[in-house]
Amino acid sequence: MLTVTFAGLAAAFLTNPSALPRKQNISLVDTNFLDRATARRSYADLVAANEDLSDFDCYACHEKGKPPQLRFDTNQNLIVPKEHPDIVMHHGSHERNNNCYNCHNESNLELFQTKDKRELKLSDSVPLCGSCHGPTYRDWEAGVHGRTSGYWNRSLGAIDRKRCVNCHNPHSPKFPGRKPAPGPHPLRVTTPDVAHAETQP
Amino acid sequence: MRKPNPDMSALPATATEKSVNRRSFLRTSAVLTTGLAALAASLKPLMEMEDFPTAERFLQKYYKEMTPDDMAKVLKRISTEVEQQYGLRPHVRDYKPMDGVEFVYCLNLTRCIGCRKCVHACVAENNQSRTPEIQYIRVLKMPHGSLDIEKAEHNYDAEQVPEKGFFYMPVQCQQCKNPPCVKVCPVHATWQETDGITVIDYDWCIGCRYCEAACPYWARRFNFTKPAIPKERLNPEMSYLGNRPRRQGVMEKCHFCIQRTRQGKYPACLEVCPAGARKFGNVLDPNSEVSYILRTKRVFIQLKEEMGTSPRFFYYFDV
Repeated sequence: MLTVTFAGLAAAFLTNPSALPRKQNISLVDTNFLDRATARRSYADLVAANEDLSDFDCYACHEKGKPPQLRFDTNQNLIVPKEHPDIVMHHGSHERNNNCYNCHNESNLELFQTKDKRELKLSDSVPLCGSCHGPTYRDWEAGVHGRTSGYWNRSLGAIDRKRCVNCHNPHSPKFPGRKPAPGPHPLRVTTPDVAHAETQP
Repeated sequence: MRKPNPDMSALPATATEKSVNRRSFLRTSAVLTTGLAALAASLKPLMEMEDFPTAERFLQKYYKEMTPDDMAKVLKRISTEVEQQYGLRPHVRDYKPMDGVEFVYCLNLTRCIGCRKCVHACVAENNQSRTPEIQYIRVLKMPHGSLDIEKAEHNYDAEQVPEKGFFYMPVQCQQCKNPPCVKVCPVHATWQETDGITVIDYDWCIGCRYCEAACPYWARRFNFTKPAIPKERLNPEMSYLGNRPRRQGVMEKCHFCIQRTRQGKYPACLEVCPAGARKFGNVLDPNSEVSYILRTKRVFIQLKEEMGTSPRFFYYFDV
């Protein structure tokens, strides 16, 4: 009796009729999460890629030699004209930087101006940001603030250092949040959210 | 017939009189069949074994004893194996450490937004198994004002990160100066190179997982099954100690993208980081980013500093 059972078991092992088919569906992460592109594209990128720059042609609408008048509401917040719907002013933690001419040059809208009255081209915005954000500018120059790619070993290749506006929207510079890439699958179980429980009042 | 034998009264009479009778034949054959069946069943996994070690791989020398000629042969074998398995001719090299280089990684906790892009860029670069999932980087989410790893969460799945009131801390191999994982390896399959990278020879590893147990940072991963990597996602730029495809039953871990960094490039996790929170370089070069950070920034931890492992991975803050 035992013999027959074991012989049957052996046969079952060898032929393996109940063997599960090998899993073929390999879960792959969305390639968006592998993308190395920066959060935004800067004016300099558009120039380099030879793209449509008509949005930066200020004097298609504005009149030369006549600085546009700024309007403020009763709380002294800048009213962004409806002709610039893409601009959301949120520069500075208390909206303190709410004057266009802190950065833009009123006498020539196609230029920037720093606090110390230097005039800069639209594609050369890094020193403009640096004129206020000194410590960050110093870090950026050392390659420590901001994104880099290329070579750590400068003798083998160049470092590609991204500019301020590749990541920060100059009108609203706080780095925006985003959807996180999927977490680890084998461990994705419903665990009590300890961290949440701790901080909730 | 059953006349008792005075000398051998303890034994059954049949055994002494007949060498083979019906009962003993059945018993013997039952034991024999069962034994054979058990043997066959136990050998079954061998028949399923797909990468049976070739004589060449079996007789391969220890990494540090290989001559350049030996290494060339090994690289050729690996290249052929990968091509057979994935139908893609890889570019396998054995990159040696550079002179006067010691790698250090710095991670800015002020900037990290917890998006996990580094995790997946690493998987793609280093040919990790997709099913089951093997990832070298684990992003921990912790409430502001604490650093209690026991209370950290890594399964967070928010609509948007960073979440208010939390910070994120990616943890990967810390490339310790005093690595506990190297000490416990019984076969010297893992060691520290002169540029500070602790490497694993996947052909020498016996899969005992002692190193996994020894690592205080949960940085080492084990291939419980044959890694599944889709052909179209295989990275053909491979290195012997780095991202060549692993077999079932070996350990693996972060190696600072040896195939990139030893060619002077940045690691994959650094290049993909949208926030620029990751910094890497040669700490022996006073002009490198990491030297600048260690000199000027509030570098606040080496993770689990009290373990005496002296990591080459530093966490720091801006401001």
